[in-house]
Order: sequence, then C-alpha cells, then structure tokens
Amino acid sequence: MGRILFVSNRIEKVQQYASIFSQKQYEFVTSCDENSVLEILSVNVADVIIFDDSLPGVKQIMKKVKSIEPTSAIILLTSLHSPDQELLKYTNAFLTENMSEGLILATVSVNLKTKSSLEQLSDTNKNLADSLYRLNVLYSTSSQFAGSLDKKKLIDYMIEGLDKSLSFGLTCTLCTDSEPVLILNSLYEISDELLSAIKVRTVLNYKSLFEDKTPPFEIDAESLKVVKNVKYPANRFTFSLFQYDNMFAPISLGENFFGCIEIFKETPFTSDDATCFQTIAQQVSLPLKSATLYQEIKETNLKLEKLERLKSEFISIVSHELRTPLTAIKNSLDIMTSGKCGELNEAGGKFLSMAQRNVQRLSGIINDLLDLSKIEAGKMDYHFANINIHSVIDYVMLSLSGLAKEKGLNLIAEETLDLPEIFADAQRLEQVLTNLVSNAIKFTPEGKTIIIRSHIADATQLVSHECFREDLKKLSGQYIVVCVEDQGIGIAEKDLMRAFDKFAQIENSLSRKVGGSGLGLPIAKQLLEAHNGAIWCDSELEKGSKFYFAIPVAEAKVLLAH
Amino acid sequence: MKKILIVDDEQDIVESLKFVLEASDYACYCAYNGEDGLKLAKELVPDLMILDVMMPKINGYKISRLLKYDNKYKDIPILMVTARSQEEDKLIGEETGVNEYITKPFDLNDVVNKVKQYLGE
Repeated sequence: MGRILFVSNRIEKVQQYASIFSQKQYEFVTSCDENSVLEILSVNVADVIIFDDSLPGVKQIMKKVKSIEPTSAIILLTSLHSPDQELLKYTNAFLTENMSEGLILATVSVNLKTKSSLEQLSDTNKNLADSLYRLNVLYSTSSQFAGSLDKKKLIDYMIEGLDKSLSFGLTCTLCTDSEPVLILNSLYEISDELLSAIKVRTVLNYKSLFEDKTPPFEIDAESLKVVKNVKYPANRFTFSLFQYDNMFAPISLGENFFGCIEIFKETPFTSDDATCFQTIAQQVSLPLKSATLYQEIKETNLKLEKLERLKSEFISIVSHELRTPLTAIKNSLDIMTSGKCGELNEAGGKFLSMAQRNVQRLSGIINDLLDLSKIEAGKMDYHFANINIHSVIDYVMLSLSGLAKEKGLNLIAEETLDLPEIFADAQRLEQVLTNLVSNAIKFTPEGKTIIIRSHIADATQLVSHECFREDLKKLSGQYIVVCVEDQGIGIAEKDLMRAFDKFAQIENSLSRKVGGSGLGLPIAKQLLEAHNGAIWCDSELEKGSKFYFAIPVAEAKVLLAH
Repeated sequence: MKKILIVDDEQDIVESLKFVLEASDYACYCAYNGEDGLKLAKELVPDLMILDVMMPKINGYKISRLLKYDNKYKDIPILMVTARSQEEDKLIGEETGVNEYITKPFDLNDVVNKVKQYLGE
C-alpha cells in the first residue's frame, strides 16, 4: 500500500499514528532525529513522510529530505494556527493535532495516489524520451547511410547507430566483401579463448543463413580475419558473455548476403530494441548495394583508363619504333640514289626509286594512323586562327602541281576573289585539301583536268547527295565551300556513303592499285568536324567526282558584313 | 673544317647523317648515348650538334638544357631529331633552347640544308 515515515519526538503522537496506520496495510517507520531519518531513507524510499513541526530543527531535516527524496510526499503535522512560511514551502499537505482518524487516513491516501500518478507520468515521459532519442539515432544513421558509398564506413555507421540506440556490450559483424572479415566492437577486452568461441559461433551463424545451400564464401574459423575495437581495454569479458541477451540479423545485399551481425547485452533486450536492431541492419542493405555497384563502376573506369593509356602508349610506340627504322631505310636509299656511292645502272636505279616511293607511302600510312589515333583519343592539337582560304589553296597548288604535271594532268584553281576569312587551323585544312587533290591526281587519267573551286554559300544553299544530307542539316550560317573536281574513275552511287568510312575498301576501285592508307578521307571528315564544318562528295562512275568541304566564316567578318 | 657532333643511339641513322655531312665537307664526330654525347660536346665544342631525344642515360632535352645554360656552349646550334611529333615535345624542345626541330623520317637534303643555314653557308 505504501511506506510511511513518521518523524516526531512526541511518544504519544508516534503511538497514535502507529495505531492508525497499523490497522491498514501500510508500512510504518518512525524516527526522531536527522541521522536516523537519513539512515532509513538510504535503505528504502518512503512514499509519504510526516513531519511533526514541534520537533526541534524540523526545518533543517525537511530541507535535506526534500533534496534527497524529491518525489516523496511531505505532510506537516502542526499544532500551530499559522505554521512557519518556510516549512510550507516543502509541504504537500497538513495534518492538525485534533484531526480524526478518518481524515488522517484520507489525507495520506490522497497523497499516495498523487505520488503514484506522478510516477506513472514520469515513466511514460521517460519512455517517450527514449523513443524520441532512438528515432533520432535511426534518422541520423540513415542519413549517414545515404551519404556514403564506402562499404567499410557504412558498416561503421551501422555499428555506431546500434551503439547509440542499444548500448550493447559486444557486436560481432561478419562482412564478406572481397575477403571475409569479422569486426568486433566490444566494451571490454576479449580473451583468446573467447575470441575462438566467437569465431566458431559467427561461422555457424553465417552458414545458417544459407540453410542447405553452399555459402558463396568458405569461411574457416581458424583463419578468419578479425578487426577488434575495444572501448575499455582495462576490463575483460568472460565466457559469461554468452549468458547475455543476444540478437542476430543477416545483412543482405540485394538477393545475396553481405554478412551477418550478432549483438550482446548484459540486460535483456525489449521488443523495441529488437525492432530498432532489425531496422538498422536492414537499412544498411540498400546503401551497401549502391556501394557495390559504385565500386564496380569505379573498377570498370580504371580498366578503361588503363586501356586509354595503352592506346596512348601504342601511339608512341608506333611513332617511335616504326619511324626510326624507316628513317634509316629512307636515308640509305636517298644516299644510294643521290649517286654519292657511285653510278647505278638503270635497273638498280629503277628498283631503288621503287623502294623510295614505298618508304614514302609507308611513312604516309604511319602518319595517317597516328593522326586518326590522336583524333580519336581527343589529343589532336589544333591551332585555330582567322585565315584566308586562298593561302590554303595556294599552298596545295604549289606542293602538288609538280606531281600533277608528272602525270600529265591540268591542275587549276578557280577561286572567287575576296572571300571572307575563316576561323580554322591552316595546317589541318592544307592536310584535308592535299588529301583530296592527291586522291584526284591518283584517280584521274592522263590529259584530264582537276579543278579546285572556292566560293561562299549559306548553309541553306548547300546541296548534296541524300546520303550526306543529315551532315549538312547540322550547318547554319555562312560557309566557305571548297570543291575539288576531277575527271577520274568516279565512285558508284551505292559506295558514296562509305567514302568517309575508316578502311573503306570500295569494291573494284583503283584505290588498291594506286595505294593509300584508306584513312585520308576519314581523317578529313574528323578534321572538318573539329572545325564545325562538313565534307561530302558527289560522283558519277567513269565521269569523275566532286569532293566538297565547308568551313564556317569567321564570326568577326560576319558582323562586319552586316 | 667545321665540326659537327651527331648524338643518336640509332647507329644506322648516325651513319647516314655522317655520310652526307662528310660529303659536304664537315668533320663529323659521333656519340651513341647521351652521356658520351655530353662529354664529347664539352671536349670538342663543336660548331653544331645534331641531337636525338630518346637516348639511354641522358636524353636529348637534358643535354640541350645543360649546354644552353652554360655560357661556354650556349651558342652551339642544336638540331633536335626525333620520332616524336607531339606538340608538347616541340614546346619542351623550345624551352630547352633547341634551335630546330626535325621529325623522323626526315629528308637528308633538308638536314644538310639546315646545317648549312646555321653554319652560315
């Protein structure tokens, strides 16, 4: 029913109250001085404490009791008409000298009820506060989960969350990432014997996840790697740890298991604890999956980077290892044909020139391959500037007119005067035009004519065979268009669209006979794309071909023209 | 007779350069690695050097840098010969004081003409 402490030095009062309360089911204790009061309270809490205000020093005792037993109900037994104001401060209720037994019992009973209600309220409050704290932990743990793609950190966050919400004695977390690791987070040091017992237990737990199936990792208790985090190494766990309350949960990873976790605590887990534990163990699963995917992507990226590096190395090898011997061959041939080693006979001269021509061709192919690799690796260097297309045409006319003459061809430039400047890399455009004109020279029979034309056109005015229309659609604004027209063998309509493909071997074409790497046009196409321009062609078998390319007019000039 | 030092680990290339330069009445000296090349350059103080980039022991850039920052040798014209043609290589070449940059495979006549140009003939 309740424990009552009666503090008085008046024997008759002590007897009176003892007889009142002994009839009911109260535990009744009496005391008459400060020391014995404190002694009694240190053994057991009193629900109600009745002070007799005629006791000397009662104020002092009440003050002390209030501070050590703030929840006990304090009742003042007074004979005074108006008791000391300070005494009232500590008092929940009053009893007077002449009060009837029934009133005394009722007063005490009401105070007892109030006290127990207050206690219930405070318990509920505490539970609410606990739940709120746990929710906060869950929230912050899940935010941590969301913010990391590092598996090790995710596991750390999980254990940290469990520590905050469940304050465990020990967690045994088995992670089977690349190599199985047992992570122990422990309050106290673990002996070697206990460690082996934990290992065996964990391995059994892990196997139990897979029922009858074979686990993806063959884990051996002997060789299992252990990471130990001990909070208070001065103390040590004993085997009694296994008498602690414990819970177990798998850590899943999509359809597979990443590992499992077992948690031990000295006091029993509540059902709320179990829910919290399962929630945290489940929550880590999704970010672990993301982290695994992220890791895979990272590995793929590394492989790609390695491939890219190999490609660059290949470029450098081609560049150095092929060119060096080629240089030695070329130099030897040049010396021989220069006549500095003595006169050659006609056949010897012929074959040496043949070798020279083919060395030239081989170095052309190597250069083309290098160019294409560089373009594809995004490593081609461009030097853009405002230039005039005439200078490009002049350069190509100058360098190829000799070759054209040798083959008995007329190479003519029909240029529109005063064309606006273009924003381009002169050297690359020379490369493109040289390629187009040398192709024309290769494929045009003796006595015929090759014409280089240039003019300005709006993107809307450009016309081409339908297979290049998509390319031309991308263009807008003013362009300088250069056209190389030959009277050569031409390209069949069905082959037109493959003209700019890499290593395109146009059937029955003479390209095999006349040589070339087959890379000139694809390189030209890429170079034009880098200029935001376009390249296309038109042809008729046996009549000849027209190769066009367009480069945007430099912006400053466009503004001036307006 | 003007002295030309050729430094290249490719003996065949050194041989052909030597042949055409000697035919043009230059005295040619050869080294087949960077270390020997640098030593010979300091001994001879040649009128011109033809230098390869990729060589064992000391590469061409390093030799060029060492010579160009030394008052005693800084006026020796250096023609850098290399199989590499990347732009950044040219930039390094310029930074290290190389006078001319020749990419393999080169034309022997071009090299002879360049040499004549630098030696004022």
